[in-house]
Amino acid sequence: MSFLRVFYDEDVLKKIKFLKKIRLFEGIREKHLIHVLESLVERTYLKSETIFTQGDIGRALYIVFSGRVHLSIFHPQTKTHKMLAEVHPGEIFGEMALIEEMPRIATATAAEDTKVFMLFKPKLENLLISRPTIGVILALQLAKIMSSRLREQIEEKPLSLKI
Amino acid sequence: MQAKQANFREYVLPSFIVIFTLFLIILTKGSLFPIILSATLAYVLYPLIKFLEVRGIKRIYAVLALYLIAGIGIFLAVYFLFQLVSFEFSGFQKAWGTYTQKIFHSIEGANKQLSSIFPFLPKFNISGKINLLVQEIPQLILGFMPALTLFFVVPFITFFMLLGGPEIMDYILDHIPSKYVEVILHILSRIDASLGNYMRGIITEAFIIFAIAFVGLILMQLNYAVIIAIIIGISSLVPYLGAFVGAVISSIVAYFQHGGFIYVFNILLFFGAIRFFDDWFLQPLVMKKAVKLNPAIVVFALMAGFEIAGIWGVIFAIPVTCILKELLQIMLELQETEFRWKPKPHPTRISIPYT
Repeated sequence: MSFLRVFYDEDVLKKIKFLKKIRLFEGIREKHLIHVLESLVERTYLKSETIFTQGDIGRALYIVFSGRVHLSIFHPQTKTHKMLAEVHPGEIFGEMALIEEMPRIATATAAEDTKVFMLFKPKLENLLISRPTIGVILALQLAKIMSSRLREQIEEKPLSLKI
Repeated sequence: MQAKQANFREYVLPSFIVIFTLFLIILTKGSLFPIILSATLAYVLYPLIKFLEVRGIKRIYAVLALYLIAGIGIFLAVYFLFQLVSFEFSGFQKAWGTYTQKIFHSIEGANKQLSSIFPFLPKFNISGKINLLVQEIPQLILGFMPALTLFFVVPFITFFMLLGGPEIMDYILDHIPSKYVEVILHILSRIDASLGNYMRGIITEAFIIFAIAFVGLILMQLNYAVIIAIIIGISSLVPYLGAFVGAVISSIVAYFQHGGFIYVFNILLFFGAIRFFDDWFLQPLVMKKAVKLNPAIVVFALMAGFEIAGIWGVIFAIPVTCILKELLQIMLELQETEFRWKPKPHPTRISIPYT
């Protein structure tokens, strides 16, 4: 077994196990998660680095692998920033702007050194169209996530990204 | 979180690095060609490495495995092809003299007939010019031989590019303001989606056409089938060219080998079938995800490529056009969205509330 470890990158197994726990990928079989991993871009942001800014056009959805991300909203009238939410490992953010290609409603900043997985629109479309077994589940989960966020907002609960 | 004031001094060093890099590129442009070829090859092969990487195989072993398998495959293919090609080349060299004589006699005959009808034609010395061109063809083919050294240099550079993987891009992204990272990665993923599919599609297409031409010409017992199939395979990297080149060369060889137009007709029928198969079955299958280019743009790009960089310019014309098309589209989109050329898009409003 130790001989195999020379060739095998155990980080991949860790990433697959991580993806398995993500609500967005719930229901996707482990062997198919490899294709999801193939479509993701990995990136590390240092503490207080801006990930995206309010008003930017959304081009990717983010999954926090490690670290924390602060989502804050800037009010031009009062010229103040209001903390919207804190995103923890395993949670996703930035998916709404990606789907509609609308300006982001909040600014995302790394609260500490943070590793994220980014899923860009062409890759998402590729998964939705070219791999329907993954695509159907992905679309359904996205709808469920958005619906639960919408419900929470309507019920006037504080906005949470825990889903 | 106050917005930082733009300061031109922070752009001095990046601008200097960009200008210095451009200057270096211009200075070393003669030796850049193998690098461009290697980068292209690395780009085409990278999905295979990623395929193995996401399945847990460390990159170094993935690259080594790919090179080992490709090396054995290429060695065997080249060994057997060289046996055939070198034999055909020596035959081709000997036969070329006879061929040139036959071609020259045919042209002479045609020229005499035409001159009797059009008395002004001898002034242009057409037969002399064609004769010179025909005699120079072997030299032209041999002129490509130095390019063979690229077969050793390019895989060597490609190996290290594959080993480095996307780390070079990560290094650049790590040193630019993080707010631009998303948009740069977006541009790269868009280009990758269209260009990558085009490159992988055209290589698959060229290989399939080479294989069909190879088997077909061998079955038709045409001389120099291997050389012709290789030329067809390479020229298939250029849209519309493969079957056309194949038809012209094979028709000339068939005419002088058998001396009858019936053989030429068979050859033309065969290449017509290849063209039909390519247009109606192969391209829709292998190029379905690639960027769509208007045929007029394809022809213009090929001509412009030839004007700029000769035969290699023709080969790289379409991939470069794919990048330019995607970049143009992204630039227009960015102008409209980031620089507010168009009003902000309105979100979809649905009047029925959440129930």
